[in-house]
Amino acid sequence: MDQITPNRWTARAPGFDRVRRHTLLDRAYHWLMALAVLVLMATAFLPILGIKFAWLDIHWITGVALAALVLIHIVRALFFQDWRNMWIGLADLRELWRDAAGLVGSRQRPALPGKYDAAQKLYHLGVAVVILAVVGSGLLMLLKIDTPFWRRNPYWFSADTWGVIYVIHGFAAMAIVAIVIVHLYFALMPDSWYLLRAMVRGWISGKEYAQHHDPARWKA
Amino acid sequence: MELFRYSRSIYGGSDQLIGASWDLLPWFVGAAVLFIVVHAVLSALAKRRARRSA
Ligand code: HEM
Repeated sequence: MDQITPNRWTARAPGFDRVRRHTLLDRAYHWLMALAVLVLMATAFLPILGIKFAWLDIHWITGVALAALVLIHIVRALFFQDWRNMWIGLADLRELWRDAAGLVGSRQRPALPGKYDAAQKLYHLGVAVVILAVVGSGLLMLLKIDTPFWRRNPYWFSADTWGVIYVIHGFAAMAIVAIVIVHLYFALMPDSWYLLRAMVRGWISGKEYAQHHDPARWKA
Repeated sequence: MELFRYSRSIYGGSDQLIGASWDLLPWFVGAAVLFIVVHAVLSALAKRRARRSA
């Protein structure tokens, strides 16, 4: 994470005190993933809810695009970014406990987090698990459909194994619906508008950095 | 309420598992809405307590 060098845009901020939170590439990843997930949800569930249309081509092509995005994200996070920002450690578990206690009446002051707080890290872990499940099962399910690139070949797996693969895809898909709803709630909550702005424009202000983050855990 | 979908075997054998049951979709949506309501209520109460003790 680095201090943004003043330029034509940032110079307009009082005292240039902007701290970069997300690079352009990471913001592009976030919004492309959001778009892909919304298209996948719509193409999967509208027909199930009775709105019939030719969903399968849009679905599998968007699915392959999502798989590529996720792969790029994993490579970037492991080799080009600091994956420790998202690692759940003991301090996070303590923080989670204090947050929960704070919600039900404890007066302990929650400690300031690093770049991401414990709840965000836990959320990321949940998203990672269900997205990997839906992408993994979805890639296998490509064998069950005809496309311009290959003919279907359902004999790779037994009927029982296919059943399990479809169950995984279906449950992960419904979990994603729940996760998206909860994500929208937290993203649109006034307390976290500065994070929404950071996901659009990349930065948080120096004041927001000091107010919401422990500089020892997220070095500016 | 079913958890899974099965297809009837045309040969009269046992039913074949073919996927998750879509009856569960409203439950996933409901769980998300319940989580939001509980969180919103608890954080509103926590804020009120904080204002009072300030
Ligand atoms: C947000 C992500 C996704 C959601 C919500 C989703 C949802 C669904 C649902 C509900 C079905 C119907 C399954 C059934 O009939 O049991 C389905 C089918 C399918 N999905 Fe996905 N999916 C997602 C991602 C993916 C990905 C990443 C791929 C591929 C890489 C993929 C490929 C497929 C294929 C090929 C089928 C059709 C299988 C067939 O008709 O035999 N999906 N998806």
